[in-house]
Amino acid sequence: MISRLAAMIRKECSQLFRDVPILLFVIWAFTGAVYTGGHGMGAELRDYPALVLDLSRSAESRELLSRFRAPYFRIVGYAGSDAELVRWLDGGRASLAIVVPPDFERRAQRGGARFQVISDGSQSMSATIAGAHIASIAGRYSVELLEARLGGARGRLPQVDARVRVEYNPNLVETWFSGLLEVLNQVTMIAMLLAAAAMVRERERGTLEHLLVTPLRPWELFAAKVIPVVVLVPLAALGSVFGIVHGVFGTPIRGSVALFYAVSVVYVFALASLGLAIAMLARNLGQAMLLLLLILYPMMLLSGAFTPPESMGAFMRYASLASPVRHYVDFGYQVLFKGNGLAYVWADIVGILVLGVALFTISIRRFARLTR
Amino acid sequence: MRRLPGDRALAIARKETRQLLRDPAYLGLAIVVPLLLILLLGYQLSLDVKGLLVAVVDHDRSRWSREYVDGLVHSEYFRLVGMLDSPEEAREWVRSGRARVVIDIPPDFGRRLSAGRPATLGVTVDGSFPARGQIGTGYVEAINALYNQRLLREHLARHGAGDDRLWPVQMELAVWYNPTLESKNFIVPGMLVVILMIFPPLLSALLIVRERESGTILNLYCSPAGRWDILAGKALPYVAVSFLDFLLIFAASIWLFRVRFVGAVWVLVAGALLYSVCTVGLGLLISTLTRSQLAAMLATFLGAVAPAFTFSGIFTPPASLDAVGRFVSRLIPATYFMDIVRGSYLKGGGVVAYVPSLLILMLYCVVIYVAAWLALRKRLG
Repeated sequence: MISRLAAMIRKECSQLFRDVPILLFVIWAFTGAVYTGGHGMGAELRDYPALVLDLSRSAESRELLSRFRAPYFRIVGYAGSDAELVRWLDGGRASLAIVVPPDFERRAQRGGARFQVISDGSQSMSATIAGAHIASIAGRYSVELLEARLGGARGRLPQVDARVRVEYNPNLVETWFSGLLEVLNQVTMIAMLLAAAAMVRERERGTLEHLLVTPLRPWELFAAKVIPVVVLVPLAALGSVFGIVHGVFGTPIRGSVALFYAVSVVYVFALASLGLAIAMLARNLGQAMLLLLLILYPMMLLSGAFTPPESMGAFMRYASLASPVRHYVDFGYQVLFKGNGLAYVWADIVGILVLGVALFTISIRRFARLTR
Repeated sequence: MRRLPGDRALAIARKETRQLLRDPAYLGLAIVVPLLLILLLGYQLSLDVKGLLVAVVDHDRSRWSREYVDGLVHSEYFRLVGMLDSPEEAREWVRSGRARVVIDIPPDFGRRLSAGRPATLGVTVDGSFPARGQIGTGYVEAINALYNQRLLREHLARHGAGDDRLWPVQMELAVWYNPTLESKNFIVPGMLVVILMIFPPLLSALLIVRERESGTILNLYCSPAGRWDILAGKALPYVAVSFLDFLLIFAASIWLFRVRFVGAVWVLVAGALLYSVCTVGLGLLISTLTRSQLAAMLATFLGAVAPAFTFSGIFTPPASLDAVGRFVSRLIPATYFMDIVRGSYLKGGGVVAYVPSLLILMLYCVVIYVAAWLALRKRLG
């Protein structure tokens, strides 16, 4: 029995390792894709393109405008007229316009100065954050003007100074986050794709019939399809974490790599089972692919990486518990990035185990039906 | 009988259509899956960050500290998850993810403020998800600024200088294009772009390589059909499927999700047609370059789908990507279609504004099909 299984695994491995394009794509997924992905997913406000229409042209307006600076804002141009401002915003070259009226200087000294901010709401999230930042800019500037007006009252006014300290990623470097997220997502995708593909290929070529008339048991067939994926993908993930995420992006890896690897093996096993189950439903590669996407995208969007779970609706929050990706992403960040141990991530591991057993059971039962 | 130009392409198109129609499960999936995705995402995905978990360590327990905390938790942006006793406990909560923001109020907070002096407090933010950390920081700072304004006004009123009209600088915020700042108004059109970059190229990527795998490609090699005939004939039915997907998603976005639409429908339709031709062509190009269906699928996935998802500007305006990101975003057609889609839905304006994007999409089509023509050799081996 062992030799039977070993022979089958050997066949699967050589099939996988002789398929040069596939190997190249797996390599790309864990190197190039992680590198480019690390540069893309910035949902945070950075260099938000702002346009200025300064009708006051005074020291006060310049002082105000100088506060729209990096890292949050970048002034991309100066408009001379309303029409020009509309053109910039319509064309999407600026996402924000700051209009300082002609009487700004006079009023800033006496009180009651106003400036207008026109925000492109089509990116509602960025617009919201930008609004919050501008509100604090206006507030802080007002306080300084007041202090000056009250004659050097600096430090003698009742003001709260909120000293913000950011843990784990003090400069909020986006690539630290998105590089790691990209690795975790690639693990999810590649595990499902490779397993599903290995099965669909047999079906399409008709070689599944050959396998079924051999003494091979269904569970042995299942194991032979899953094991190469379970060996390859977690190792590739580790390589990517150290080579790209840590090596290129400089993300600190604070936690236990062994724990990450162990749980990744279980996770890849679960997702490869899911991939096989899908492959059993499909008649050809095209169908399998569409089914995969139908499951993959909702699972990834529920992962909590796009929206924090606490901001989701109640239904989505519970639905997200059924997404293995959510547990894995949370686990990955906690262990690798925050350096948390078992005491913190046991719930995620339980989630992955429960979902893994469920997926495995569904999948193996479909396999058992093959021989009937 | 004289041959009409293009009738060979039409014959191939007819064959592909028939093949598609005889695999109803496949065709059904190709139409239903995109629609299901948009329904799921449109109804449930919200990118609004609200109700961030905040914990408070209040060493002061005065009227002032209570008011400060009330100001935070009565906004929709924060939800109070606990009043803790020590900073160590708070750090533990951030570490385990039970709180994303911790406010640490020192014992002399209220005393200093009531004496008319400045006070400090500590805010700890979990930065492991930078976007969330930044939003948390931004919200705290904005609410802090509001609180400070109120403090100052009260202080000035007590000293006889309190006149609201005298507040130095006030911001007036006007939101254009999406005045209610609803995320569906940008997610649903954005998903339209991404979904049309996922399914049409994945379907068409299998077209030529499938014939190569099953050996029927020889029939095409021996037929009088030229390379253009093959490409056009294979592309046509899939452009039609892609366009059908577009119409369905467009209809759902308008009637089901009630997304704002202020632009010209025909500009969007023209853009969608060009984009469909382009995405199907991209799939065909990949199909001519690969040797197995699986490789074609993976190449499409990594080469077309993933970049569209990351760089088209669905979540981030391309202008705020870093240099690498901006460069990639200019290379992919999804960015230009995104411009047309977002513009048509939310901004309106004349055709003139969209001419550059339409032209670039056209250029893409030409380049992609010429590349596919060059790559498609009627040769063995």
